[in-house]
Amino acid sequence: MKRYIPQFCAVVLLMIASCSSEPKKLPILGNREPFEKDLNGKKVMDTIYQKIPDFSFMDQDSVIINNDSLANKIYVADFFFTSCPSICPIMSKHMLQIYNKYHGNPNVALLSHTIDPKHDTIPVLKKYAEKLGVKDNQWHFLLGNRDTVYQLAKTGYMSFAAQDSTVPGGITHSGYMILVDSKRHIRGAYDGTDEGQVKQLMSDMDILLAEEKAKKNEK
Amino acid sequence: MRNKIILLAIIPLAIIIFISSCGEENIKYQRYYSDGSQLYKIHCQNCHMSNGEGLGQLIPPLTDSIFLRKNREKLVCYVNYGLNDSIKINGIDYQGQMPAEKHLAAIDLAKTLTFITNSFGNNQGIYDVIEVQKNLNNCK
Ligand code: HEC
Repeated sequence: MKRYIPQFCAVVLLMIASCSSEPKKLPILGNREPFEKDLNGKKVMDTIYQKIPDFSFMDQDSVIINNDSLANKIYVADFFFTSCPSICPIMSKHMLQIYNKYHGNPNVALLSHTIDPKHDTIPVLKKYAEKLGVKDNQWHFLLGNRDTVYQLAKTGYMSFAAQDSTVPGGITHSGYMILVDSKRHIRGAYDGTDEGQVKQLMSDMDILLAEEKAKKNEK
Repeated sequence: MRNKIILLAIIPLAIIIFISSCGEENIKYQRYYSDGSQLYKIHCQNCHMSNGEGLGQLIPPLTDSIFLRKNREKLVCYVNYGLNDSIKINGIDYQGQMPAEKHLAAIDLAKTLTFITNSFGNNQGIYDVIEVQKNLNNCK
């Protein structure tokens, strides 16, 4: 019996190796539309995935952040306001954990959109960032017109979520953290108030970073 | 001789009474503490976090046991009326704003305060309703 142990181990190892050679891939969330395209004269079906719409907002350092400044980066987005007494502190704490883990990684950005632009002016956002311990420009606290931000949430980030107007603040205040890839596709949505979900988000970020790296190497 | 017998009877009796009342106190404390931990989850944890550590320089931790001891009488005022001062905790200045929790009953304030003054490295014993009421009357 003992003689078979090495063989047995070898088989198990092989199984493990074959599993890990197929990297896990994150789904692409949101609406999708099939379309016909021309490939060398032949008509083939392809899919258009929903993208985060164009936006342009100012961050705590008065720098304009738009899709160009986020090119080649994956990012995590959430919604908050600095004077929020309910779920925001816990979400900021979790964003801070993500920030600390990916600090200095040029392929990762964090965006926190304020939904209270009246109160959260640039100096207020700056102070909030500093007091959290954010000193560089990897985590952007973004100020934009309230309606524009709501519209972006509705048609962009949260389009997969049920419209829930019974919650104060609605979808923008539901505690979602959204993972977006460098092609502006939504790759994951997480409950930012839940410790386990945030852990999941971070391991999904690793998977997405590996995918992006592999794509870059292909080119 | 008679005196001795009486004494011998009284001493165990005294001990029994002492132990049982002590046990009652202890049960009351346990109940306060465990109810308090639930109340903390609902009313405080969003800001002060599950481990009482607060958030950066925005929300102070509840781990500064010297501060909590020194300000024991004022704790109930902080919670009931909110706090908007500049305070120094563990050497860091906080200028945030804690909203008032006016809808908490005195008994719930007592339980919550029993919880925080005996968690996160604090060890002050029970903070009961009588103390809450007395301190509430002295809030400025
Ligand atoms: C909206 C966020 C928020 C909530 C909810 C909250 N606090 Fe606070 N708390 C603060 C802030 C901010 C300060 C500092 C205020 C200042 O700087 O004047 C503070 C200060 C304190 C202090 C004094 C400073 C310290 O750290 O010891 C105590 C005690 C305290 N809070 C207890 C509680 C208790 C008990 C509850 C629940 C009943 C609670 N807080 C709910 C934000 C909050």
